[in-house]
Amino acid sequence: MTQGDGGGSPPALRTAGLGRRYGHVWALRDCTLTVPAGAVAGLVGPNGAGKTTLLQMIIGLLQPTEGQLEVFGETSHANSTDALARVSYVAQDHPLYRDFTVADMFHLGRAMNPSWDQGVATTRIDALGIPLKRKIKGLSGGQQAQVSLAMALAKRAPLLALDEPVSSLDPIARLDFMREVMAAAADTGVTVLIASHVVSELERLCDWLIVLTGGRVQLAGPVDDLLTAHQLLTVPRATRDAELPGFLIHRADSDRHSTVLVRTDPARPAAQERPGWGVEPVGFEQLVLAYLQRPPGTAADDPAQAATRPGPATKEVTR
Amino acid sequence: MIWVSWRQSRSQAIACLGVLAALAIYAIVVSTSMRTAFSHDGLAACLARNGGTNCPDAIQAFTNKFGSAVNVAFWSVLLIFPGLLGVLIGAPLIARELEFGTWRLAWSQTVTRTRWLAVKLAIVTGGVIVFGAAITAVITWYRAPMDRLTGHFINNAYDYEGLVLTAYILCAFGFAVLAGLLIRRSIPAMVAAFVPWLAIRLVVEFVLRRHFEAPLTFVQHCASAQSCMGGYGLGFIPPVTRHIGDWVLGPGGGSGNQSGNSYLYQPADRFWAFQSIEAGIFVALTAIALGAAIWILHRRPAA
Repeated sequence: MTQGDGGGSPPALRTAGLGRRYGHVWALRDCTLTVPAGAVAGLVGPNGAGKTTLLQMIIGLLQPTEGQLEVFGETSHANSTDALARVSYVAQDHPLYRDFTVADMFHLGRAMNPSWDQGVATTRIDALGIPLKRKIKGLSGGQQAQVSLAMALAKRAPLLALDEPVSSLDPIARLDFMREVMAAAADTGVTVLIASHVVSELERLCDWLIVLTGGRVQLAGPVDDLLTAHQLLTVPRATRDAELPGFLIHRADSDRHSTVLVRTDPARPAAQERPGWGVEPVGFEQLVLAYLQRPPGTAADDPAQAATRPGPATKEVTR
Repeated sequence: MIWVSWRQSRSQAIACLGVLAALAIYAIVVSTSMRTAFSHDGLAACLARNGGTNCPDAIQAFTNKFGSAVNVAFWSVLLIFPGLLGVLIGAPLIARELEFGTWRLAWSQTVTRTRWLAVKLAIVTGGVIVFGAAITAVITWYRAPMDRLTGHFINNAYDYEGLVLTAYILCAFGFAVLAGLLIRRSIPAMVAAFVPWLAIRLVVEFVLRRHFEAPLTFVQHCASAQSCMGGYGLGFIPPVTRHIGDWVLGPGGGSGNQSGNSYLYQPADRFWAFQSIEAGIFVALTAIALGAAIWILHRRPAA
């Protein structure tokens, strides 16, 4: 996970010990992660995992309670123009003014962003066949999401943060939206941070993955590295956790066999094919789901603890 | 930001212009007949001759004819009108953004939320002042014939002429902006702002106003029993001081003066001083509320 240091340019996002508390409840805690410039990073977690809290601290809508937060090497302060200029943000449910026309929304974008590129906004909307004179309330949910995305891209900030952009959309609108995000990332090299609980949508999109549960980072790194660092084993039910190679992430027991996801230990050889054991590479969705199912409070970067911890007691079969 | 503020307040501005136009039409219709009657009945000449003391019948006829149109209905409606207008404009200013989640859009552009609020408040406050001045001008013109009989201290004149009407609107506006930020919903914020506004408004009008300056004492010398007739209050034309526009507060002094009755009064020429004091109270309250709203939004990045 040293990819962010390559090239000498600062990473798009770097946090250290970042936390945010509401009253006595920590929405996010001990969040330490790096997203390199140019990455398309998926931020995955169930509702209430702290995804929105993290994104709102990045854009500066929230002040961190503790820890550091840097966007392109600059510390972000809430309520500062510099912090706002570094991030384009599409909030959950893509809020827009319902009685504005699309043209009005773009006028607002131009009025409130010195770096606004009107061409970027209108070209996208024209290509999608959304009339500029139409009021926002007359647009479908997918079209509203596209207008929000067009505004975020026209702001031309180097980091594009999207909070659950497709969760309220139908499957076709999801595809359209994701295609636009991919095209923008390819065209402009903008770093994308996309929070979602729609794991399948992220698989084709992301080259960087962050899994967040219960306000803590469970897993973070380049998708390819993470996939090669994990293995899916099928072992006899009687196998004890201690016999498993690497660190146990998730274990599902069926009648005779157990399906086990382990993180391989670089210090130890990868799992040997023992008699009766099946070894498979792990898929994106399996990996994410395994980490999402870990009990809250399980630290990601404490492998020793993770290795000695028993798997979930629930009896289930993962496919 | 100026365009954004205008675009978001456009429908309210149009509604305000509609109210102003309706009021102007009503004012033109009533005031025209009032002006005609005023000159036709010879009231102008009567007032010029002896301060209105010798033509009670004409005055009575005039106030009977126009009093209800100009005074009674007007005051009861206009008492709450500035407050309603202020809270209708003020409450949604922040609360609407919080209610519909658009604060996440508004405050994530390249403008800090502090500046966003400051510009919006400057634009909308300016609009409220212009609108208040326009309404004041219409009412002042419309009431002019009546005011020549009653003076400007009568509630119906005092509350809607000069500076205070605009200050009332501003105060309700300021309360509603702050309530909208704290309560985060438009309708409850309107109620939460209107109730204290009305309370303050009534306390100032009926308790504080008469004490803005120390009243003067007028001693009525009775040449005959008839000339000593008369009472006090705003309804008597002319007042016992025989100077139209004086606000007679009540009997003055405990010393049973043998030579006549003494009265405490506020002279008519204190109108602008009183207006300035009262407007100052409401503008100060407005400034406190709006300052608190800006400070809270600046200090509390969490929405």
